[in-house]
This record gives sequence, structure tokens and C-alpha cells, in this order.
Amino acid sequence: MTTNTADAVSLTSATKRFGPVRAVDELTLAIPRGQTVALLGPNGAGKSTTIALLLGLLPPDSGRASLFGLDPEQAVRQGLAGAMPQEGGLVPRVTVRELLTFVSGTYPAPLPLDRVLTLARIDDLRDRRVDRLSGGQAQRVRFAMAVCGDPDLIVLDEPTAALDVEARREFWDGMRGLASQGKTILFSTHYLDEADEHADRVVVLGHGRVIADGTSAEIKRAAALTTVSVAADGESAWLATLPGVRHMEIRGGRVHLRTGDSDATVMALARADAIRDLEVAPADLEDAFVALTTKENV
Amino acid sequence: MWGYVRLELTRALRDGGYVIFGIVMPVVMYLVFTNLGLAPGDKHDAAIYTMVSMAAYGALGGAFNNGSGIAEDRAAGWLRQLRLTPLTPAEVVAGKVVTGAVAVVPSIAAVLLAGVLVNHVSLPPQRWLVIIALLWAGTVPFSLLGLGNGYRLSGQSAAMANIATMLTLSILGGLWVPVEKFPSWLAAIAEWTPSNSYAGLSWRIAFGDVPTLRQVVLLSAWLLVFGVYAVYGYRRAGRRA
Repeated sequence: MTTNTADAVSLTSATKRFGPVRAVDELTLAIPRGQTVALLGPNGAGKSTTIALLLGLLPPDSGRASLFGLDPEQAVRQGLAGAMPQEGGLVPRVTVRELLTFVSGTYPAPLPLDRVLTLARIDDLRDRRVDRLSGGQAQRVRFAMAVCGDPDLIVLDEPTAALDVEARREFWDGMRGLASQGKTILFSTHYLDEADEHADRVVVLGHGRVIADGTSAEIKRAAALTTVSVAADGESAWLATLPGVRHMEIRGGRVHLRTGDSDATVMALARADAIRDLEVAPADLEDAFVALTTKENV
Repeated sequence: MWGYVRLELTRALRDGGYVIFGIVMPVVMYLVFTNLGLAPGDKHDAAIYTMVSMAAYGALGGAFNNGSGIAEDRAAGWLRQLRLTPLTPAEVVAGKVVTGAVAVVPSIAAVLLAGVLVNHVSLPPQRWLVIIALLWAGTVPFSLLGLGNGYRLSGQSAAMANIATMLTLSILGGLWVPVEKFPSWLAAIAEWTPSNSYAGLSWRIAFGDVPTLRQVVLLSAWLLVFGVYAVYGYRRAGRRA
């Protein structure tokens, strides 16, 4: 155990430009040890670039990145971090066992190979060549490479992208085990339910900035968007101007109003005698996410 | 780093390109050239001369193939994955250079063994030692050229460029057909190639001569050029990583 108590991950006003695009824009983020954090955002929000900055794969144009109070490259050298990039990383013409034995061997105190194989559920693949694996199997081997060195920080860029529903569930069971050992886990995803269920904290990115940060409950509350819907009946554009309404959408013959004050919206609908088959649904993370990211676009 | 070298060597042995271009082809060509009477002059002399040529050709195959591997690794995201392990970039590059140096050994050994076992080549022990050392150490410029291509070009084009360069240098350097058989204009070009100087060192030793200063200087100059090229390629690749 190290005695230093610096945050596992720290980004301070980090900026990264690609030509005219600010992929990461003055981003500040601190993750204390032991937290499981979801980095949530649509494609192009800057998730992968943020991960590349904090792992030292890319230098920030300005600002600072550190892991456990160290320069990211230094922390990686010391075996404090393990990571799974969004894609790639499997080298052809070696077996799963050969690959993992090599990666483990670069770390000071790796997990025993058998533990790793069980953790990643690839026991039966140990003698398979990595260039002959299916997408889901390859994904599990890539995960095994990230955790086999027993690092304190595990960073996963869209870890479940290639997995089916069953494999995703098994994957998260394994992750819970790691989190309970006090590992710091940062994963990016655009599956909202994953962030909701598996993270202590959700950081929503949009256009390279943090646009919301908290527990999933807090984010839903902050966005505070309840959906009020009624059957569409003639001209309905005026519904968007009702009190509390932030966003209107017509689909499936119904008008869906996202509102910050559902009471006021429903009262107004009643006064206008526009209640037809009324439904009120509480905010879910999906709604919060859409609201947060679309607000960003305006 | 040794774990990395071991992994890379395992991969090389399973690589058909390496086994065919680096080991099988040179041995087969050697046996064909020497036993079909295609090589000129005294049979034993021809067996020695062609043995050096084909060992050099095989070593070039091994050295360039190692460079092509770099491009493949980059395309597969493997170089990035290595940066996420505790290995330092210097260890990764050194590991690849060591792998290249080890990978040429079977190429050289296979042809020399064929010379001894099949064509009954006999040389004084010290000549064997010097030839083996020169054939081995002389691959460094070619390894660097291959790595330079590997860093600079994408997977498929790096492999093509390396095979084309390897064949061009082999033929032009007189490894397939002795330079004496070339038309004079081609022979004039051949004498400036690194492959001709490289094999030339060992040809001279094999027949009891001392390498010429020109061969040593020329090969050293190419070493410098290819070294600069490899560093340039590595820097460029680093910027895109």
C-alpha cells in the first residue's frame, strides 16, 4: 500500500485541441481512491481524449493531468494503472496465455494467471490464439490485460461495447468484485443504464467539458425533467410555451413535454382543457442526459 | 524487456513471411544454385561463395520482416497497449532491436548448416567465426531501414516496401547473381549498395582475404543513413500515436 493520499485521478484545466476542435476544454476532474466513476457522453463528447490525457497517452496542450499525485507516465511505469482502450491492443500470433503472461510480467505484483482467467471468464480460451477470437472473447481478453497487473486504478474505455446482454451482466459482476477490493475504476460508456447501476458517481461530458457531475440520482434531480405527455390533438406547437416546459417532441401520436415543473405544466394543460389521456413519467437518466446535452447545443 | 523479446520471437516463428523469406527460401535457393551447376567456377568455391550470398539474403529477409512487424503492431493498437504497461518506450524499442538481432540468427545458421551438411563446405574454424560474426552484426543497417519503414508507413505498405527493398538490395547487391555477371553500368551501381558491402565482407573472409576499407566505410555510411531514417520514422510515429 502506498502512503500517499493524493486523488487516484486528477485533471486540472486540461485542454486538448485537434486542429480547430477543442476535444477537451478546460476540464477539471478529481477522482478519490476507491470510487467507481462513469464517464458518460455522446460520441465526440471527449471521453476517449479525456482518458488518453489522464493515462499520459496524449500530452495536454495546457493544464495538468496526474495519477496518484504522479505524472501519468510515471504512475503507469510503477504499475499503478491498467487500462483498456476503446479498441485494439491484441497482437496477432500469440495465445491468450502467452499474451497475459507477458503483460503480467511487466508489473511489479501481478495477479496469478488463473485468477485473471477466472476474473475475465476466459479459462477455456487460455490456449487459443488471440487473432482467432470472436469480438466478445477479444473484449474479455483486453479486459484481462487491463487488470492482470493488479493495478490500483483501472480505466476502461467503453468496456461493454462488443458484449451481448448476458456477457455485460457477467462483466459487471466481475467489476463489482474489483470495486469491493478498493480499486478505483473509471469507465466510459454511452449505455445510460450502466452508469446508473454500476457507478458511485456519474460525470457527464459534452463538448469536452464536464456538464454534470454527481450520483445518478443527483443528476436526474439536477436535470429535474419529468415527462408529461398527452395525446396529440390538432395544432400543438403552443404546448411548448406552457410553464415549466423545456423541450417538446411529437412521436407516436403523442406530445411529450419535458418539464422542470410538472405541477405547473399539468395545471396549465387543465386550464387550457388540453388533457387527453395524460401520462406523467418521472425523470430517468436518459432524459437527464438528453436534456443536459441538448441544452449544451443551444 | 526479456519477456517482450520472448513474446516477439514467439510471434516471429509463427509468422509465415519470416519463415519463408528468412529461412526456407534462402536454403532452397542455395541448394538449387549450387547443385544445378548454376554457380560459376570451382564447385567447392561456388558452394562457399553462394553460401555467404544466401546467408546474407536470408538475414536481410529476417531483418526487414522485423521492421514490417512494427507497422502491424501499430495498426493493431499494440504499441499503444505497450505504453499502458510499466515497460518504458526505450525498453520497447530496445526489445524490438534485440528481437531483430536474434531473428536473423536462424536465417544465417540454416544456410551455413546447409553448406556444411549438404555441400560439404569446409573452412578453418576462425574463418567460420568471423563470417558468422560479420553476417550477424552487418544486419544492423538493414534492421534500421526496416524499422524506419515500419514506423513511417502503414501496415500493408510497410510490408510491401520492406519486401521490395529486401529483394532490390539482394539482387542489386549481387546476392542472387554475382556482380561480375552484371553489365558494367549495373555493376557500377551494385558497388555502392549496402548489401554488396555487407556480403562482400564475408566473401573476402571466406576466401582468406581481408575486407577492403571501401566495404567497411560504405557499410558504416549506410548504417548512419538508415539510423537517421529510423529515428526520423520513430519520431513521426510518436507524434501520431
